[in-house]
Amino acid sequence: MIEQNQELFYDLLTKKAVYGLDESEQIQLDDLDPGTAELEFRSLEITAAAISLIGVATDEQMPAHLQAKIAADANRYLGAVSPENETSSSPARGRVIQSDEIFRDAPARPWFGWLGWAAAAAACIALAVNIWFTRIPTIEQVKTPPKIETPQILTPAKMREDLLRSTASVIKATWAAGNVKELKAVSGDVVWSDEKQSGYMRFRGLPVNDIAKETYQLWIFDKTQDKATPIDGGTFDVSADGEVVIPINAKLKAQGPEMFAITVEKPGGVVVSKREKIAAIAKVETAAG
Amino acid sequence: MTQAILHRIASGDGDAVQDCLKKYGGLVWSIARKMLRNPEEAEDAVQEIFVDIWKNAARFDEAKSSETTFIAMIARRRLIDKIRYSTRRISADSLDDVMLEPFTRADKEMEISLEAKEAAEAMRSLRPEQQQVLRLSIIQGMSHHEISEATGMPLGTVKTHARRGILQVREFLGLERPQLFQEVRA
Repeated sequence: MIEQNQELFYDLLTKKAVYGLDESEQIQLDDLDPGTAELEFRSLEITAAAISLIGVATDEQMPAHLQAKIAADANRYLGAVSPENETSSSPARGRVIQSDEIFRDAPARPWFGWLGWAAAAAACIALAVNIWFTRIPTIEQVKTPPKIETPQILTPAKMREDLLRSTASVIKATWAAGNVKELKAVSGDVVWSDEKQSGYMRFRGLPVNDIAKETYQLWIFDKTQDKATPIDGGTFDVSADGEVVIPINAKLKAQGPEMFAITVEKPGGVVVSKREKIAAIAKVETAAG
Repeated sequence: MTQAILHRIASGDGDAVQDCLKKYGGLVWSIARKMLRNPEEAEDAVQEIFVDIWKNAARFDEAKSSETTFIAMIARRRLIDKIRYSTRRISADSLDDVMLEPFTRADKEMEISLEAKEAAEAMRSLRPEQQQVLRLSIIQGMSHHEISEATGMPLGTVKTHARRGILQVREFLGLERPQLFQEVRA
């Protein structure tokens, strides 16, 4: 390929990986294809995916209602797949993803299909046994639909309870208002376990934030860090009124937190907070009971 | 070694869906919010992305990428599709935020995967303009035309920065050998 074409080739591949191509550009790429376009594209696409992870908050939470909706979707989608769809086209391990197949209807997942078929088989056996013993088959006896377990969502509130019930040593602090007039009604507590490196914030009165404009960010002041450089406890959003429980996922190991602070920051959070809007502060008092 | 969540989903582990949501929910949400900037659109997209993830779980191959990168790749495909076929455009206000966003937020041990950490390192080795173009296109989902308009760079220059930048990052990540991505045939 001549140099000029090579530049165009990689321009098009780059665009395809970062933004997609329109029809005419794809035709242009196909015309230039020296036989390696697809493989080149896959590696550039993975490169773009790796770049897209830079700076992603490791502890950002998706809204609870969205998570619940997706879990329900999963149950519906995976549960609806029948075994017939599970064909020999299932890729073997070691096979790479095909760029043109990723959004095709994929093979079924076996277990939900099995559940359905196992339940149907069980129902048939029950019916056969019933016929065998009574010789009078009744619809009612096979009417009960097979019970398929719905995936349980382990809520942050439940996880918080589990942490408090665990044998791990847990510290506790109570939220007090910060320097934002509108947020004087914030209350609740925060619990944290050094041993498990996990903890939960419970709030009442922390307003729903407009995620397009701002986010809440947690800062952990512990014994190992200078007060000027607290540990970034990550960002979170409040999507509902009332009591909310937010898991903590500290980005660095926190040992012996002495204080927690919530600031209001721009979406995505900040590296260094100007601490202009402190929504709440919690000073560690005691081990949690 | 812990089995990948996607393999567990593919092989029938009923708990894997919840584990996947717990581990990658925030990641997908974060990527969607950055690229779409509209919370409602992002919610719709995230739902669709997870359906794509369930569909493609069996296709994950840890020899080619980390699970995190694979998930991000699936997410990006759906998001690119959304952006291209919607009227979404970054408003002038939000564009200012985008241009000013610090890029070095996730340094030290804060990166979400090894590839992200290496990608961040590779990005730091690029020229500032190349970094800017890749950041705006890949992380913020802006087209080359939009970047050209926003930065004042000629379109050709944007393309060149994007091409040279991504090829350099790919090389840094050791992904430049196309044969790595050849299908393994039985």
